[in-house]
Amino acid sequence: MSEREFIIPVGPQHPALKEPANFTFRVDGEYVVDVEPRIGYNHRGIEKAMESRTYIQNLYIVERVCGICSNSHQTCYTQNVEEVLGMEIPERAKYIRVLLAELERIHSHLLWLGVAAHEIGFDTLFYYIWRDREVVMDLLELISGNRVNYAIPTIGGVRRDIAEDKIPQYLKMLDVLEERTKFYKNICATERTVFVRVAGVGFLSKEDAVRLSSVGPTLRASGVASDIRADSPYLVYDEVPWNVISYNGGDVLANVLVRVDEVFESVRICKYCLEHLPDGPIRVKFSPLGKVPEGEAVSLVEAPRGELVHYIQSRGGDKPYRYKIRAPTLGNIPAVCEKLRGGYIADIPIVLAGIDPCFSCTDRMVFVDENKDKRWEMSGEQLRRYGIEWYK
Amino acid sequence: MSLMDDHKRLIGEFTEFLGAENVLESKVPRERRVFVTIKRDRLRDAVSYLRDHEGLTHITTISGVDAGDGIEILYHLTKKDLSLGLRVKVPMEEPVVDSIVDILSGAPLYEREVHDILGVVFEGHPNMKRLILPDEWPEGVQPLLKKWSLEKIRETIHEKEW
Repeated sequence: MSEREFIIPVGPQHPALKEPANFTFRVDGEYVVDVEPRIGYNHRGIEKAMESRTYIQNLYIVERVCGICSNSHQTCYTQNVEEVLGMEIPERAKYIRVLLAELERIHSHLLWLGVAAHEIGFDTLFYYIWRDREVVMDLLELISGNRVNYAIPTIGGVRRDIAEDKIPQYLKMLDVLEERTKFYKNICATERTVFVRVAGVGFLSKEDAVRLSSVGPTLRASGVASDIRADSPYLVYDEVPWNVISYNGGDVLANVLVRVDEVFESVRICKYCLEHLPDGPIRVKFSPLGKVPEGEAVSLVEAPRGELVHYIQSRGGDKPYRYKIRAPTLGNIPAVCEKLRGGYIADIPIVLAGIDPCFSCTDRMVFVDENKDKRWEMSGEQLRRYGIEWYK
Repeated sequence: MSLMDDHKRLIGEFTEFLGAENVLESKVPRERRVFVTIKRDRLRDAVSYLRDHEGLTHITTISGVDAGDGIEILYHLTKKDLSLGLRVKVPMEEPVVDSIVDILSGAPLYEREVHDILGVVFEGHPNMKRLILPDEWPEGVQPLLKKWSLEKIRETIHEKEW
């Protein structure tokens, strides 16, 4: 380390979003030279807990891995258990699962867009976006009864049906979301306030994105058109018409555009699902004390933040022998470190927020007590203010 | 060529490359899924081969399983239309395997995770520090090993002064 370099620890108290992770930055003046991540502050022992609970109990634990993409985890889990059981679920259930997955993506992407606006100090945009996000939250509540943790997928199908007479109302709400998102896309692509803070910031080349095994919108913003829904289709993603979105920029602007465009695609998928919902039952029976035969399975799902993988190993009985979860944020940590290197300190919040990190997903295993660090620290809020002041 | 045929071709060529005596088990449970178990000392050759000849450059994660008589380490390698599980087994008394971080740059954090929770040592990893367990976590408590029941973990960490 040269004499000009300093160490700045950022976090663990919300470095970007309101979740804990610690990044130790080595800086030279205003430039970030290197960064070392430390995670684990949110570990709750979920994988261990799942080994001592039945398959039905785990349905509800796995949903609580994450508050934002709860449905993705449950979909991934049910697919895994159904594969080991050799169970085929009804077509109508598949459509309802896809509908929920895409509504969740819309709410997650709009939430992120609002947070990104906040990180660059554009709070008016933040409030507008979150106001309109309420439309999709209402829609989720109308369909599932809940704003978060929808508890729709279950082993063998889904728990609640879609009421046919409500479909026109749902379609109208999707129209509103599409209309408002068009307005935001226009703002993000033309408004100087946004543009100067995100264009060229947090660059990740296509080669690095592939080399570091990054996932989801972060990968697609670096010009790689890779999406689990297309690469390894599950449910009915091979029947529904939609496109994989990718941009070549590799910066935060490309991240914004990928997510905005994915909202349009998700709206399209939701409308298709509602208009082409097949008739029939919504689930096949799985007993609450049901046993699962010996076997193993890997389930891949495209969560809002990218590739989500669950691995199950069953040795018979009513509890899994081992259940492994890898959430997309962990896959993107090497990429975000690469993005931060060579950038400005003032850009740390928006670059960290750029991968849409979700640490309750990423940390799962252990209870944590954090020792007070004696070094000087910058809180998320201080850092955010610093970023905004620096650009004035 | 159908996907199933392509998976069988992959296994055939892979077995030929590594030698039949080094491939302990291989199966194709369904389209887009392949599991291969190999001897632990051929891991690096296998990963390099799959990266260079089959385009498996993306590592999704590494799962560790306490299999009773040893620890199974499952490398999930992914590309379009395929998720391949490459498995090696290490003995309980000597849980050591070669690191693959110089072959797949996406692997370092996943190796550290398996090191934390199961105590597997990845030889050649440049930074085998704690990633997810707290700094104060007692040495030798690998929470995902079956011998560490929840009660036993609770007792052990509460005996310690936090």
